[in-house]
Amino acid sequence: MEGGEGIDQGLRVLSYLLSGPLLYGFLGWLLDQWLHTSYWMVLGIVFGMAAGVYLVIRRFGRP
Amino acid sequence: MLPIMEISGSLNMIGYGLATIGPGIGVAMVFAAVINGTARQPEARGALMSTAWIGFAVVEALAIIGIALAFAIQ
Amino acid sequence: MGLLGLIIPMEGGEEGSHWPPGVHSFDPKPLFPDAGIDWLNTYLLQAVIATILVIVLWLWVSKHQKVVPGFKQWCGEQLYNVVRNGIGRDALGPDYQKFTPYLLALFSFILVNNLFGQFFLSMFPTFSRVGYAYALALLTWLLYNGVGIAKHGLGGYLKMMTMPKGVPWPLYIIIIPLEILSNFIVRPVTLALRLFANLFAGHLVVIVFVVGGTLLLEQSSFLYKIAGGASLLMAYPIFALEIFVGVLQAYIFTVLTAQYVASSLADDH
Repeated sequence: MEGGEGIDQGLRVLSYLLSGPLLYGFLGWLLDQWLHTSYWMVLGIVFGMAAGVYLVIRRFGRP
Repeated sequence: MLPIMEISGSLNMIGYGLATIGPGIGVAMVFAAVINGTARQPEARGALMSTAWIGFAVVEALAIIGIALAFAIQ
Repeated sequence: MGLLGLIIPMEGGEEGSHWPPGVHSFDPKPLFPDAGIDWLNTYLLQAVIATILVIVLWLWVSKHQKVVPGFKQWCGEQLYNVVRNGIGRDALGPDYQKFTPYLLALFSFILVNNLFGQFFLSMFPTFSRVGYAYALALLTWLLYNGVGIAKHGLGGYLKMMTMPKGVPWPLYIIIIPLEILSNFIVRPVTLALRLFANLFAGHLVVIVFVVGGTLLLEQSSFLYKIAGGASLLMAYPIFALEIFVGVLQAYIFTVLTAQYVASSLADDH
């Protein structure tokens, strides 16, 4: 059964897409707590999403 | 407002539920194209799959932003 | 209640505290409640029995091997072929012989522990306590990191894992924490949580059907009794689904372990 590599690639893509917003959203939340603003966490989530998508394109795209 | 027209409960979750329609259809279309292309020409499987992951990542980005913001914004 | 208790697969004896079922239904009961050892509970006993069962089973199957196999040897060979060909050779390529013993032991152990959830003497799957799933994921984490470091050296392994090619160097500062989080933390955590969540949720559904059906059967109104009977009849297909989910989760855990080891041994992406 050839399904092993497909499952592994799919899970790696999903883990990049999840850990990007998680890490940078958390950093943005810390910055919010320190500066008492309210917008850095949302910016962090969007930026982390962009970084995750970029990493997926670098690792898995461009045959 | 008439009592029948009031929405109570979490508005964030209604927003997230509406936001999952688009990415659901989008990811299905990407992988349907991969399956069709592989059925027509099995040698193209590797090239099709690597473009498929790019498409999947970009489409899924919106769904993940949706659930993150549904919990993060009160 | 006494006669019903014989034909209905149910755990526990007392009523009243069972509804609604939740995390408290999975609380462990110590084997010897009066001695001071509280950690010796039924889950530990199940895990130890599963270990002994797996060892005895594989030793028994592989004794007195002949070139033309009898039935017992044929069954063992079929099961061994599933792990070695379907999982080991596909994922690992030429090095599959070094890792087949570990993959076979992992697959058998998870399968026997999942099937304990449907066995009539012990009605809890061992992996519905999350600590057991974390322990197996920790073992897999040590394995694929250790194999990668042994082959590439510490610096080379970290470089291969965290820096993809073709990225302009100012972006490395953004990409490296992301890769570290994704490769070294998210992978084993999702491995453990997938196993735990599937078994926990499945067994919770079984508890709802069985306990709810029994409670409904004891009510006085006739419509409630029909609903209780239907709920108990539905419990049997859910049991079959649980057996299938147990086998599938054991297979997926083993396939992903093999895949992580293969991607640690790969030369480049």
